[in-house]
Amino acid sequence: MSEIDRRSFLKRAGGVGLGGLAAGYGLGAATTEARADESPEQAAQRVNEVELSTTRDFDGVHQAGILTPAADFSAFLALDSIAGGQAELITALQAISSRARELTRGGAFPLTEYDAPPADSGTLGPSIAPDGLTVTVAFGASLFDDRYGLGPRRPRHLTAMTAFPHDNLDPARTGGDVLLQITAGHQDTVDHAVRELVKPVRAELAPRWTVAGFSGARRGPSPHSSKRNHFGFRDGTSNPDVTDPKAMDRLVWAEKSGGEPAWTVDGTYQVVRAIRMHVEFWDRVGLHEQEEMIGRKRDTGAPLGGEGEFENPRYDLDPEGERIGLDAHIRLANPREPRTIDQRILRRAWNYSEGFDAAGQLDVGLLFVAFNQDIARQFVAIQERLNEEPMVDYVTPEGGGYFFAPRASRDPSDWVGSGLFA
Amino acid sequence: MPKNAPALAVLTAGVAALLLLLGGCGSESSGPVARSIRTISAHPDITIDHVTGGLHSVQQEANIAMEKTRNPGAGGDLQPLHAAAFVKPVGEYRTYSEREAKGAQRSVTALQADLRAGDVAAAKRDWLDAYDHYLGLGAAYGALGTLDEEIDGNPGRLPGGTRSPEFTGLHRIEMGLWTGEAPARLIAPAAYLTAKVDRLQTVVRTIEIDPLTYATRAHEILEDAQRDMLSDVDAPWSGAGLRATANSLAATEFVIKTLRPLLNGRDSTIEPVDNELARFHAVLMGVRREDGGEWPSLAALTRLQHERIDGTLGSLLQRLDDVPGALEVQRTRPVPTIAEQKREKQ
Repeated sequence: MSEIDRRSFLKRAGGVGLGGLAAGYGLGAATTEARADESPEQAAQRVNEVELSTTRDFDGVHQAGILTPAADFSAFLALDSIAGGQAELITALQAISSRARELTRGGAFPLTEYDAPPADSGTLGPSIAPDGLTVTVAFGASLFDDRYGLGPRRPRHLTAMTAFPHDNLDPARTGGDVLLQITAGHQDTVDHAVRELVKPVRAELAPRWTVAGFSGARRGPSPHSSKRNHFGFRDGTSNPDVTDPKAMDRLVWAEKSGGEPAWTVDGTYQVVRAIRMHVEFWDRVGLHEQEEMIGRKRDTGAPLGGEGEFENPRYDLDPEGERIGLDAHIRLANPREPRTIDQRILRRAWNYSEGFDAAGQLDVGLLFVAFNQDIARQFVAIQERLNEEPMVDYVTPEGGGYFFAPRASRDPSDWVGSGLFA
Repeated sequence: MPKNAPALAVLTAGVAALLLLLGGCGSESSGPVARSIRTISAHPDITIDHVTGGLHSVQQEANIAMEKTRNPGAGGDLQPLHAAAFVKPVGEYRTYSEREAKGAQRSVTALQADLRAGDVAAAKRDWLDAYDHYLGLGAAYGALGTLDEEIDGNPGRLPGGTRSPEFTGLHRIEMGLWTGEAPARLIAPAAYLTAKVDRLQTVVRTIEIDPLTYATRAHEILEDAQRDMLSDVDAPWSGAGLRATANSLAATEFVIKTLRPLLNGRDSTIEPVDNELARFHAVLMGVRREDGGEWPSLAALTRLQHERIDGTLGSLLQRLDDVPGALEVQRTRPVPTIAEQKREKQ
């Protein structure tokens, strides 16, 4: 099936995504609907084929990887520009978009001379399955210094991330000129993309730091149940509705007025925080105290005193914090008051595991990501409320940064960030 | 350092584990028990018929937990202690803190003189002494207000990190001494530190530590050591993490000593704690002996030494975390449900 055929086939089939229909890459048509006549192995293989053939459009209005439902695997790759001038920087950003577009579409790659290094590492086989890959490009405040003359075009709310009182930021794992957020349905797809994306830009963009994230399997009880973080609690229960364009215009996309440079339209501010979780210490805390710190039941994810994960915690009925403490994490993070409606963020999170630290303790944590319209009004306001929550003893933010993710490339002749240089 | 351990009563470990089974289903009627047992497995086809590590079936465990919730104190549970029982232990710790604060004052005064004289070797020795004494205050940090950050704050929390003008106190001087900065440049930070340590003298005389916080410090002083000191986060320039851990152990041993009369006979908590404390103590002293009676820097430890320290400390912490549960002061009131609060409002 040709590329165009495949795309129109997808449109007819009702779009992309899990549960839809997909085809291509020698995998054949597949559906997630259960069939009576197949074995569990056959069913698993069929679901696997659907997942692998999922595509997320690289071009469009908004970059993929923002409103897109969070994929199971991610990597964040911060790059420092070592380009000698604006022209070189542009070439590198064009190369990133071009390669990212190819990878998100998938397909066979051209074979070169037998005695030359192949065009692709081949870790995904001779034909690349798209696997829901997204590559989201964003820029750090440092890119707008005097090196490339971009100062006057700095997004109005973009600053370097500074430490909060309980942070212990490692400069080597913080900041960066360009951030790539790479997500996909499987870890090998993410790793392959990282390897392919750094290859064409070695002389212009130097890797500064990277963290790989994963999320738990869908373990129910319902398909909507949030997955768990390393503390055993469900994570991401309360999030604004991404299908509500009005809410997204108010909370996620850059303001269309108010002094933002024109090129920022349809972009968003991205906060990334690598938050180390001291799990050995946490595991020595009584369940009751854990739940009081979070404000939810560990098993169901229900707010304390409630029944279901998505039940409203009803702080209005509990002004003294008798049921959910006034310093409980969920209450400080989102008090659900009229004055905090404009502070909500679009939150994404993945777990990370990086081995052990120098003291033999598990170096694991949460890759926290927030998309928001104004970092100071939203993320920082929330984080300042959380400065004195009891949970600060059990977590240490160690890296990350503030970035601006511009609009998507319009079509294959365009590239992400072109507006910045127009 | 945990600066604000939550002031709530800690359930005994057994009840806490059982709350997992009861979670999310309320605790007042008999109906939810059976339902809750099913909900612990996300998958309808998987039934869990035994609680790992326990002697009872799920049903038995759930019944016991229900009975305890309805009738607190029944079933051989520990009687909560009266808060007054903590007056003497906390008083003893206060006296200990005053002594350590005095020691810190002597050391920083000497440190200032060393810097004026340009004697870096002596300044390093006095810095380490000051750090030793300050760590003796481990159980009191939460009660020191902003003084703790001013004396012992790390640069990672500051915008600008080590370049921040707010980066001062012990670790500012540590950075200077161990990175070859001119001693004269450290005189001003040392004067600031001296002023703060002077103020510490009056603050420690009147510190109040509430019972639960004090009991929680029995494991939290060493939790900090494991998190920040043995991982080389807290004193990266001097590499004094091991020495700092030994000081944290000494402070913990003192806290346990003051709590011993309260712990005797409560859930057999004290014996394993004593055994593990002795074992960790012996491991640390062994490492010091192997290094000719001096504390080696973290970087100088052999792999085996580091592994033995980490392992025995981890095991000790798993015993120390029983202390707050064994010393619970007041039973947690049952948390009202949303439904109950709705009814109340009507």
